[in-house]
Amino acid sequence: MVASATQSDLRENLTLEFRRGALVLAVLTQLHREQYGYSLKKLLAERALEIDEGTLYPLLRRLEAQGLLRSRWRIEDGRPRRYYRISSQGEQVERELAAEWRALARAIERLLS
Amino acid sequence: MTTELINRYVHEVGEHLPAQMRADVEAELRSLLLDMVEERARAAGRTADSDLITRVLREFGPPEEVATRYAPPAQYLIGPRLFRVYKMAVGIMGLVVAALLLAFFVAGVVQTIRNPAEAVTLGKALSVVGKIFHTAIFNFGLLTLVFIIVERVQQHRELTGKLWNPAALPPVDDPDRISPAGHVFSLYAILAFAILFNFYPEWVAIFGFTPKAGAWHWPLLRPEFKLYLPLLNLWWGLAFTLNLVVLRQGRWRRETRWTEFALGLLAIGILLMVILGPPVFRYDRIVKVVLILALIGKGMESGGRLFRLLRHPAAAPWAAGDAEASDHQQG
Repeated sequence: MVASATQSDLRENLTLEFRRGALVLAVLTQLHREQYGYSLKKLLAERALEIDEGTLYPLLRRLEAQGLLRSRWRIEDGRPRRYYRISSQGEQVERELAAEWRALARAIERLLS
Repeated sequence: MTTELINRYVHEVGEHLPAQMRADVEAELRSLLLDMVEERARAAGRTADSDLITRVLREFGPPEEVATRYAPPAQYLIGPRLFRVYKMAVGIMGLVVAALLLAFFVAGVVQTIRNPAEAVTLGKALSVVGKIFHTAIFNFGLLTLVFIIVERVQQHRELTGKLWNPAALPPVDDPDRISPAGHVFSLYAILAFAILFNFYPEWVAIFGFTPKAGAWHWPLLRPEFKLYLPLLNLWWGLAFTLNLVVLRQGRWRRETRWTEFALGLLAIGILLMVILGPPVFRYDRIVKVVLILALIGKGMESGGRLFRLLRHPAAAPWAAGDAEASDHQQG
């Protein structure tokens, strides 16, 4: 029982680790048009990538602190919302990450086949 | 839509964030939660009632956990949450030292001008400045130690964990919310008094300076005062522990409030024993008048605490949060 719980924890941790890097790339690709947190979550979900809100929103702030995103507050429907958009530095990083992703995917595919 | 619960939640997350990012994260989080709640209500074709909000908040996660995603905890001796208070406390200490040095300098200059025959010699001046710096460094070390203890305790603060209930979140203006700065001051004062009375009783004194004698102090305690030290140490130990427990729990609870009241009664008992007992002070009458005033103050404080405890006999709903959260999970 304990062993199976540990194994499931381990699998969960490995999956989280695996997704973490990919999420950055996913978020960068979707922010060429301005989005606020919830609209971005919906957009990603429509494109089959579910991200938990508690992970996505802090990630946006972290990417902004790293200079990969820009943000501004806008009032919409009487409510202030923080809108994010990719920065020029973010576009550069996105291109590099995308190239890395494709190379990695090809390598893993070869290893799996 | 009732946003009270969202406000409580956002405020609680903010409580665990460094001050410089708090307002911004709170504003964003509030707007994101409102979006989530509205969307869920629309999808379910119902109004955004407290039941729906509770579900959204539970899904979002316990406030402490959410806060760590925004500002991951790091190993600090004194972390960003307390560093501002620490800087302020050190600044106040620096001002006190500067004021003491200035007062000594002015007194020395005035004395030298008025009576050149009794001018302050360099040796005496250095001895006073040395004592001021010695005391300042000792207190700086003690203050830093207290902040390190508080940081450690807060890092291990009880987390609400997965079994948590948003309805049990305390209100924004929670009277039981603690101020870490207040507890730091209490811990520092307790430690300082305990060290002073146990190891340097001769420094429980009236201090002064005259050019002839240099710095002097009149000790207030007679050797017989040692009789009361075990009781005083017990009180300091209990008060120190209570402060640590409250810091660890993150807010006052009824048990800790009652303990605080009981400690107040113990302090009154000790004060009465000292006042009615044999002389243990030099200038015994004067010191005991001061102690009688302290006793009256302590009595009024304890009366006020008892009144508040009896006036609100039922535990506040948020105080029973853990139990309710477990029920919700099981139910």
